[in-house]
Amino acid sequence: MQTTDFSQPIRQSAKGIIVIFAFNLLKFFKKFLVFFIAFGIQVIRKKSFGGVTPTMMYLGLIAILVLLLIIAILKYLNFKFHLSKDDFHLATGIINKDNTIIPKSKIQNVYIKQNFLQQLINVVSVKIETAGDKKSEIEISALDKPTALLLKKKLFTKATIENEQNEYIDDTEVFFKVTPKRLLLEGLSQNHFKSFLLIFTFAFGLYNEFKDFLEALELEKHIDDFVKLDEHTILNLIITNAIIVVVVILISFLFSVVKTFIINFNLEVVEHQKTIEINKGLFNKVSLSLTPSRIQNLVITTNRVKQYFNLHSLSVKQAMVNVKQQKNFKIVVLEKEQLNYLINKLLITYNSEGELGKPRPYFKRISALEMLVFGVIINSLSVFFFGIEMLWINTIFIPFAILYVYFAFKKAYYVISDEFVTIGSGVIDTTTNILEIHKIQAVKIKQTIFQNRRRIASVVISTASKSVTIPYVSKSEALAIYNFLLFKVESQDKDWM
Amino acid sequence: MNFTNLQIDIETLPKVEDLVLKPISKSYFKIIMLNKLAVYAGLIGLVFGLKYIIEKKEEVQLNLYYMLSAVVVFCIFNFIVSLLAFKKRKYAMREHDVVYAKGLIVHSITTVPISKIQHVEESRSWLARYFGLSTLKIFTAGEAGSDLSIKGLPQLEAKQIKEIISDKVNANN
Repeated sequence: MQTTDFSQPIRQSAKGIIVIFAFNLLKFFKKFLVFFIAFGIQVIRKKSFGGVTPTMMYLGLIAILVLLLIIAILKYLNFKFHLSKDDFHLATGIINKDNTIIPKSKIQNVYIKQNFLQQLINVVSVKIETAGDKKSEIEISALDKPTALLLKKKLFTKATIENEQNEYIDDTEVFFKVTPKRLLLEGLSQNHFKSFLLIFTFAFGLYNEFKDFLEALELEKHIDDFVKLDEHTILNLIITNAIIVVVVILISFLFSVVKTFIINFNLEVVEHQKTIEINKGLFNKVSLSLTPSRIQNLVITTNRVKQYFNLHSLSVKQAMVNVKQQKNFKIVVLEKEQLNYLINKLLITYNSEGELGKPRPYFKRISALEMLVFGVIINSLSVFFFGIEMLWINTIFIPFAILYVYFAFKKAYYVISDEFVTIGSGVIDTTTNILEIHKIQAVKIKQTIFQNRRRIASVVISTASKSVTIPYVSKSEALAIYNFLLFKVESQDKDWM
Repeated sequence: MNFTNLQIDIETLPKVEDLVLKPISKSYFKIIMLNKLAVYAGLIGLVFGLKYIIEKKEEVQLNLYYMLSAVVVFCIFNFIVSLLAFKKRKYAMREHDVVYAKGLIVHSITTVPISKIQHVEESRSWLARYFGLSTLKIFTAGEAGSDLSIKGLPQLEAKQIKEIISDKVNANN
């Protein structure tokens, strides 16, 4: 393996020009596509428009391409990075020169990504992220893979050079690899409500678009004839409706499965000495490392069906990672033992022992109230759109609402141990939230004016990545939790990242 | 190694409920009042404007007094709520944290440990400058929910708190 020397300023791989060019081209066309089409059609149709002939237009287009290419080359030439003892240095900019320095100790993540184009020309992009805002992200868009891996390793090794030799024999082991069968199960057992709603709105939108068209076909007339036919029609109508529902459900299943496959294709968890690496993706390959000290929350989700197939997913939340990136930190289809192993790897002393606390029964009242509001909305909407017969929807809705309240209360609990807070919640899904007490950023007690009389309050615990709530416990319990957590945070001098 | 791991007696922990919270400056209510009055004036103006425009276009008679009294009742209710809510705005500083309580309908007490504060900011609007008040903003690394913004502190006090926090934050690093 040829080693790259990172101590001198170097450029990325020359193939980077192609990546930058393609990226800029895409961005440019995204912005001006509508304009181009409108203008182009005008010119071609009328042979000339505002003194512009088709030839001139094509020349202009070529000029733009050449200009973009030149910009890409200049960007490439002016993009240099190197590593010093504890910092990463980057110089960019064609006219305005920017010099960015990131201390190694502040780097939160290093991703290695590969989109479709990069897969074709066999380069990867390296993204360096700190806990700051979006602007502090750095992306090196084309490096060959060995260099990228080496860079990543160097970024994660602390300034000491002497143990660099040891790092090479770092025992890595593929801890977990997904099988297509389990991925299929994962896709099928997902909460389909979301994709169902998405497809339903899409279909509804389409229907609205083509409404006029359908009316022009005088479909209504046909239907009217149809209705008059005989009593078979009612059966027919029911069958048609059933078919539509089944088709939509099938499509949403398919949608979930395809989505799961694309995102989690070849999911692989590699275990290093201290860190854990996740590799996955079909069109966009990503590879990212998790360092235990950077983790703020762990969220485990599963549901009834998934539990049956022993499927659990683990999301790792870090500070200030943008939403799109956040999705990548999810490991799906873990078995129970694998999940426990990973949790113990990431949070070394984790144990879920401790006194199990439940919310007050008041929780049920609030859930019931939520369902009541939801029910009123559903009822008034369906009566408004489909008439009074539509009230039969309540025969489905009321059992659903009762189950909702029952499960929401059953699944809500909290455990506060010496170093960890574990909060369970969920209705259809079962969600478990784990956070380390010393990573808490702020604690809040919340109480509405109605809860004041009942001596009930909620505790909101914020870390750098998200806030979790212990809902509706008694006031004294809430205060005890509050005081305990604050005492824990303030009495130990541990950093949050 | 100086390490102990004694059992913690929950009863002996410092209690936030025993803390005497300090109300914010009374003159901040004047600022709230001025802001509210501007909004109320706008609302009442809107009622008149609406009546004028609609009655000109269509031949509909809107009952001005019903609308006006509805708006006035809303304004009075809103005013009472904000007066009561103002009394709930309290703050305190302890050795290791800053506590801020607010809200009438949804009452909340937020505590931010000083060791988790990233930076402090003292800001003053022109109205606040006139009354000698300032707003103390405390930023943590957390989500927006965990940042504190204590409005209506006397300027001197805000400055002092800011200094104390800055010193402690810098001493930690």
